[in-house]
Amino acid sequence: METEAFKMNVDGQGVARLVFDLPEEKVNKFSYPVMKEFLDTLDAVSKQADIKVLLLMSGKPGIFIAGADIGELAKIKDEGEGESKARFGQAVFSRLENLPFPTVAVIDGAGVGGGLECALACQYRLVSDSPKCKLGLPEVTLGIIPGWGGTQRLPRLLGLPQALDLILSGRSIDGKKAVRIGLADRLMAHEFVEDAVQDFVKELLLNSSMDRRTTRKGSVRDRFLSGTPLGRWLVYRKARQNLERRTKGKYPAPEAALEVVRETFVRGGAAGFAREAKVFAKLCSTHVSKNLVQLFYTNESLKKDAGIGDTLHPEPIRSAAVLGAGVMGGGIAWLLSSQDIPVRMKDIKWEAIAAGYAEANSYYQQMVKRRKMRPHELNVKMHRISGTVDYTGFRKVDLVIEAVVEDLEVKRSVLRDVEKRIPVNAVIATNTSSLSLVDLGEGLVHPERLVGMHFFNPVNRMPLVEVIAGPKTAQEAIAKVIDLTRRLGKTPIVVNNCSGFLVNRILIPYLNESAYMLQEGTSMERIDKVLEDFGLPMGPFALADEVGIDVGLKVALILEKAYGKRMRVADIMKAVYEEGHLLGKKDGKGFYLHKGKERTPNDKTISELAKAVQERLHTDHHDLDTDEIVDRALLCMVNEAARCLEEDIVHTPEYLDMAMIMGTGFPPFRGGPLRYADERGLSDVCRALEALQKKFGERYEPSGLLLEMERSGRRFYETA
Amino acid sequence: MKERIAIIDGVRAPFGKAGGILSGFGADDLGAVVVKELLARAELSGEEVDELIFGNVAQPVDAANVARVIALKAGLPKQMPSYTVQRNCASGMESITTAANKIQAGEIGLAICGGTESMSNIPFLYRREMVGIFTQLFRARSLMQKLKALLAFRPRFLAPIVGVQQGLTDPVCGMNMGMTAELLVRDFHITREEQDAFALESHRKACRASENGVFEQETVPLPVYPEYRNVHYKDEGPRGDQSLEALAKLRPYFDRETGTVTVGNACPITDGAVAVLVASESRARELGLNPLGYLRDYCYAGLEGERMGLGPAYASAKLFKKTGMRLRDFDLVELNEAFAAQVIANERAFSSRAFAREYLGRDEALGELDRERLNVNGGSIALGHPVGATGARLVLTLLKELKRRGREKGLATLCVGGGQGAALALEVA
Repeated sequence: METEAFKMNVDGQGVARLVFDLPEEKVNKFSYPVMKEFLDTLDAVSKQADIKVLLLMSGKPGIFIAGADIGELAKIKDEGEGESKARFGQAVFSRLENLPFPTVAVIDGAGVGGGLECALACQYRLVSDSPKCKLGLPEVTLGIIPGWGGTQRLPRLLGLPQALDLILSGRSIDGKKAVRIGLADRLMAHEFVEDAVQDFVKELLLNSSMDRRTTRKGSVRDRFLSGTPLGRWLVYRKARQNLERRTKGKYPAPEAALEVVRETFVRGGAAGFAREAKVFAKLCSTHVSKNLVQLFYTNESLKKDAGIGDTLHPEPIRSAAVLGAGVMGGGIAWLLSSQDIPVRMKDIKWEAIAAGYAEANSYYQQMVKRRKMRPHELNVKMHRISGTVDYTGFRKVDLVIEAVVEDLEVKRSVLRDVEKRIPVNAVIATNTSSLSLVDLGEGLVHPERLVGMHFFNPVNRMPLVEVIAGPKTAQEAIAKVIDLTRRLGKTPIVVNNCSGFLVNRILIPYLNESAYMLQEGTSMERIDKVLEDFGLPMGPFALADEVGIDVGLKVALILEKAYGKRMRVADIMKAVYEEGHLLGKKDGKGFYLHKGKERTPNDKTISELAKAVQERLHTDHHDLDTDEIVDRALLCMVNEAARCLEEDIVHTPEYLDMAMIMGTGFPPFRGGPLRYADERGLSDVCRALEALQKKFGERYEPSGLLLEMERSGRRFYETA
Repeated sequence: MKERIAIIDGVRAPFGKAGGILSGFGADDLGAVVVKELLARAELSGEEVDELIFGNVAQPVDAANVARVIALKAGLPKQMPSYTVQRNCASGMESITTAANKIQAGEIGLAICGGTESMSNIPFLYRREMVGIFTQLFRARSLMQKLKALLAFRPRFLAPIVGVQQGLTDPVCGMNMGMTAELLVRDFHITREEQDAFALESHRKACRASENGVFEQETVPLPVYPEYRNVHYKDEGPRGDQSLEALAKLRPYFDRETGTVTVGNACPITDGAVAVLVASESRARELGLNPLGYLRDYCYAGLEGERMGLGPAYASAKLFKKTGMRLRDFDLVELNEAFAAQVIANERAFSSRAFAREYLGRDEALGELDRERLNVNGGSIALGHPVGATGARLVLTLLKELKRRGREKGLATLCVGGGQGAALALEVA
């Protein structure tokens, strides 16, 4: 029988091949119609008496089944709909499980989410060693739990510890590991999949009672941990502790998944599946899930379009140079070399270049330590970097990334200098965090090849690169930088030129406002605690220490100069740097005292400085409550974000929110500052801003766009 | 007429004493660093290069065909072939003359040549007896067999064989290089004082050159692997505080009783690498490369291993005969300083008519090796002698110095362990 997505073929020996090949799509995914068709196919198959074994395969290279159609997930309106969707999927897969002959999933590509749940309903799973072969249940990363039997079948197959590890982390594993932990029955060489399948089928036909689990008998440890009440108690307790540390109670999905497994592991059966569907339904209509799904979509569209349409296919950057071998320069050199792009690192002195080498080397050492890289690879990659104190070798580079100190005059003269040393078609990127491209490009013969390329520190951990297009920047140059950024494994987001660009322009007011709160009498620790509870990875003062107080202040002053009153730098910020001479973590002393990874509040110094500022300014002393702290810190972010959107610094609220999440660690479950505003309601946001304006001054004046949207009843995200 | 062989430019690492600052670099790492810098200075992307031919003596066990490893680590295209040449102390020169042959045969147009040596990393070896026990242990199946193998063990088996020492011993005549120098001392009646004076002069010249920034023009500073805490700017060998008194205090190293050769008047074991870009004259023009100079002709000669130090005299005689050139045609001479005694022996052999008649098959002496024109920036006694690299250093140093002085012709010649000599006739562009 021939259908649309599934093709069936039975050979003379009774071996049926059911090939999933969704038309007009790059990947196989389960939407409702596809599931329906799958069910019909299975119904038909079950009646065919000549079938001895069924192979479930994919017609897509590199993909087995990518899971459920997320578009449908996003459209689920209420719990009832969610539950019936889950129940239907469960019914389809149980039909697969109950076919009257052995079933084999042949997995030579990604089989994740619903795809893996489908494979779990087969009797055997064969996996390949292709790097594209990834198995996992990433549902929790979308704020939901596996809803098609994943929480039921996986723990029974693998035992509790391994299953919980996969379900709660959302991580995927490769074929080799899948066989090792018992998720799959056999590993196939990718190039010999067909031969391996035939061998397996031959064996199976000879010995149809072949052990279902041919690879692994539970060890004593496994039997203890999954098979005894005490063992299970230990596993659950450990899992819960890990979750608390990781999610800090902000992400309900993994906790719910753990709960479902705990409740249903021993006495599962039909009730277990019912429970799974119920919890799935509850989660998929939460804000957190909607926000995470939205971010998934934003991410997908960012892969295709960083903000300029991405229709150009530029020549790839083959060799690069970095100006300035400081922390950023060394980090960027590391990143380029890690992708085998040769990079010339220029600084004024060889000692500085050596420090840049050391910086790059430290990133590689971390990778070697974490077994992400072997020592000989470190050596080869480090050889991609070479140093120079003049511009030797620059005639052969396709791109220069300037990463010298954040000082307009210095940067300008360096840029003018380097322009004479590079080929005419080479791109000049400047890793500035706040200086305007218009100012930087002054005096360049070809300002059209100047692009902003704002990396975040530490380069190895921050996924975002702000790509800044100045008014004169050529599309070709931007396209080259976008292409390179993607090759470096980072996410580029194109923003238009303004002081601070997108991320710092929105982040600095938040830091600044926190400083105002501090100098008005609220304790630093409390502010940090409240904002951490809100979901930020660290409070504003801890962040300032991390970034470096001098660096932060420099950027803040640049923004004050550009935006005037509403970004006036809080006096305490200047006092901490100028009077307290505190630099932050790099110096061991900042708002906190740092010793190794430990930090304790630098109470005495900071409160003295705060008091001095208060006396000087005659400000009222007041201690804010939690809501006020959140409002003051967050709403100034929202307000500035709205301004950026209004000025078209970035085109869509989706990209803006993603930039803040990737660039500053804004909590993903909140969906970003604009999504947060939507969730609170724009009226509420505007009223709160106006109240703050009355109390604390002009800088809270709601932006035009906010007011206008509130008036017309619009939201940043139309579908929510 | 054969095409001229252009030597475009060269770069070397500042040399470091073995076991010292550069010991973290393998021979391949040193080579890769100088090759990368050479490409950058010549403004080549690497695709223009037809082959990389590199000299190396103690081929590293962890980098077989070290030239290939260098090429890949330096980022040259993987399609480009590369191989290692080994003519002992002349390996660096061999890389250049091999490239010259291939260019003249029309096989290649542009090559990266040079030499590299990490004498720090020459391994210590297990003795044959110990290796035998290991072999038996690997083969043993039963515990009894293993125990039996172990019973043969004696603590003295653990005394290592020092690879460097073995490498510097001629396996045919059985003499260590130092002993061959002692033989020349006796043949030519060279005093300890003459040797020490020569060594001191080598240090003085090298220090002067270093202070005048002469070596800066041919070296690239190295951030020191693996910590990158220091930068290695200058050759470590030349000693500003070297004196005759200090040299006189040293005991003879090779022949403790009657010898005169000390570690002070011999070259030290050293780490270093040199890369030079070699091209046919037409290819250089095509790529817009400005040659530093040309290799006009060259000769290698053989002699008895016991007197290998006289290699320059033999090779130069052959070169003069081949080209019709005379010693006085050369404005400058670079002659490697394996030992002060070896240079002095050559001076005497060069100027001796009797020697010429008896050993070189010519009627007239080769000529006076005028010290004003010999190793004007010091030699291996001061700078060190990374064996595989020195040959290329002589060529590079000589051409740069000729250019600085506005002179034309130079002779680069050296002695080779095992009983050979090399002589290259060079001229500036």
